[in-house]
Amino acid sequence: MINLSTGAFYERSTTQIGSLRARAETLQQQIGSGERLAHSSDDPVAAARLRMLDREERVSAVDTRNSQTAENNLKFADEAFGQAAVMISRARELALQAANATTSDEQRASIATELDGLRQNLLGLANGRNAAGHALFGGQAVGNAYQIDSATGVATYVGTATLDAVEIGEGQSIVPGNTGPEVFSFTDSSGAQTDIFAELSALSTALRAGGQTAADAARDGLTMLDTSFDKVTTAQTVLGSRLAWLEVMTERRTDNMERIADERSVMGGADLAVTMSRLQEMLTVLEASQSSFVRLANLNLFSMLR
Amino acid sequence: MASDLLSIGASGARAARGALEVTANNIANASSDGYVRRSVRIEEVASGSIAGRGTDIAASGSRVAEVRRNADGFRQAEMRRTQADLQRANVELSGLENIEAAVEQSGIFDSIVEFEAALQQLSGDPTDSARRAAVLSEAETLAAKFNITSGSLSSVGEGLRFNAVANVADMNTYGAELARVNLRLARAGFGSNDQASLLDQRDNLLEKMSAFASISTTFASDGTVAVSVGSPATSFVSGGNVGTMTSTTAANGTMGFAIDGAAISPGAGSLAGAALALDDLAAIAIRLDSAASSIASAINTAQANGVALDGTAGQPIFSGNTAATLSVVLSSGSGIATAPAGSPANERNQQNLTDMRQALSAANPADNVNSILFDVSAKVAGRKVTQSALETIASSARIALEEQSGVDLDNEAANLIRYQQAFQASGRAMQVASDIFDTLIGIGR
Repeated sequence: MINLSTGAFYERSTTQIGSLRARAETLQQQIGSGERLAHSSDDPVAAARLRMLDREERVSAVDTRNSQTAENNLKFADEAFGQAAVMISRARELALQAANATTSDEQRASIATELDGLRQNLLGLANGRNAAGHALFGGQAVGNAYQIDSATGVATYVGTATLDAVEIGEGQSIVPGNTGPEVFSFTDSSGAQTDIFAELSALSTALRAGGQTAADAARDGLTMLDTSFDKVTTAQTVLGSRLAWLEVMTERRTDNMERIADERSVMGGADLAVTMSRLQEMLTVLEASQSSFVRLANLNLFSMLR
Repeated sequence: MASDLLSIGASGARAARGALEVTANNIANASSDGYVRRSVRIEEVASGSIAGRGTDIAASGSRVAEVRRNADGFRQAEMRRTQADLQRANVELSGLENIEAAVEQSGIFDSIVEFEAALQQLSGDPTDSARRAAVLSEAETLAAKFNITSGSLSSVGEGLRFNAVANVADMNTYGAELARVNLRLARAGFGSNDQASLLDQRDNLLEKMSAFASISTTFASDGTVAVSVGSPATSFVSGGNVGTMTSTTAANGTMGFAIDGAAISPGAGSLAGAALALDDLAAIAIRLDSAASSIASAINTAQANGVALDGTAGQPIFSGNTAATLSVVLSSGSGIATAPAGSPANERNQQNLTDMRQALSAANPADNVNSILFDVSAKVAGRKVTQSALETIASSARIALEEQSGVDLDNEAANLIRYQQAFQASGRAMQVASDIFDTLIGIGR
């Protein structure tokens, strides 16, 4: 005969009801947090993947910041190029006027003064600073890109030859600007290396000298200003394409963030509909076993003894 | 006539009362720990007839012959074995869960990622003092997280060792108790109520001891038990003699156990679980130390190869090469050597920072910590499965034992009625005896 021990009955009932309750509570926790994993050990593989996703996301956030800085610098440079182009066009107008045979020496002298002013403004642009306070066209230099000799007024490039690229994620990097020589230096008709500041000051000196040489110098100056204008607009075009590349990368990053979020919810998110219905099922079973437990526990021979 | 009706009735009433008492005792102990259901065996008192008058009635009533204890040695041994396995799994699992929590919840992985991100951010503008300060503060967070993790791990170890030492003390107490029970069992009468309750105590003690370590038992006919513990099986309790169990802690925090100086492995039970968890803990601590040391050496070596913002040679950022001792010694963010050796002050060339980041990504501490976390959590997940299987096995073994040796209140209710009726019937028999006596006396009137 199997002896149905009272203790065994109670022990079995508590084990069953306890395990049902524990499962219901786990489901409740998943609904409350929206996460399927409370501990790594709930699903070690998914948890490890989630950690790597977090890392990717964090790195991507820094990439975003670096690429925003690069974008700002590029926009600064873009603006400076626009202004430089306007000034060079103005210088060309003046040179054209000076080249005219009817222009008097006095007029040429005043043109020379305006050209000096334009040169100062261009130098101001060339020594501009980016958002971080570094020279906009100085490469990796700290401080000014062009040093101006206080006695002679000669501008010398003191920046580095190249500008280091900035990482913008996924192994891509971008050069966030241009160095001064890339924008303002060019080769003159004789093939010698020169820059717009030297040429402008030479032009204004020649104009002040007056006479036929001044008119000839102004005519030569037109070619020089055309070359220089081309150089600036070319640099601006390159810059524009870099900005476009940055935008593409930003879009890619946004897509990537979406993918990460998607993967995270698939890996670690609790599906609300499934979890809710499983909880309901669990609660139904729990209620049923609780009420059957109460009924069985009341079924006692002692209650029949009167 | 060798029998008399009155004493037969009285003996029946006495036996029924004895049986009622045993029943009441069963009911009272229905939920007592380790209580085994008693049943009474009532037998006839057979008295020999006087020589030569064999045809005479020789009835002498009944008596309680034995208070039987319905214990099943096999099921008890099975319960002890499964319980020892379950305890081992429980303690090992809870130790591993604590290790997992220590490594995971300290956020050590996140802080490594943050540190890497801060270095990457610095590469956007290596002379920016805010970005430099960010790197340094992330380095401090990182060192602090390593310290916290190491502290939590050592308190997990302390908790495990504390429990194990307490368990060893309990084991010695129970062993001494069992030796005393053995001595009293050797003197107790067979089938007596005293013996039954001593056997209850004996089984209860064996059950408690099996929660700590795997025990093997040898029962003698008088109910005394000899206990050997662990592997190799070493005699712990034998008759009235009891050995001394001791524990030792190694330098790396792992534990060893011995009985009377002979080293044993506990085999099962909470002591085996603690030993396993402590082994895992020591291995994890070594891996965490190597992650901390790889970060410190990668960063410090790179620092030494470059120059700081003020143009001086780079000084170490970290000191210490274990998780517990890792700390940041660089006082200002301007000391981070981003520029290559020989550069002037305020150099924006970040070659050395690039090298530093490459060295860090080659050492790959984030991946190391991730794999530590993965290994621990995978182990926890695996042990959870084992533990829940063992729990089912242990609980069914316990239920099987309870069904066989536990008290069924319905049965006892039936017994109560049965023996009450037997008592009343014996009383009735005594009344009949008295009536007969009265009738005989009345004849003379």
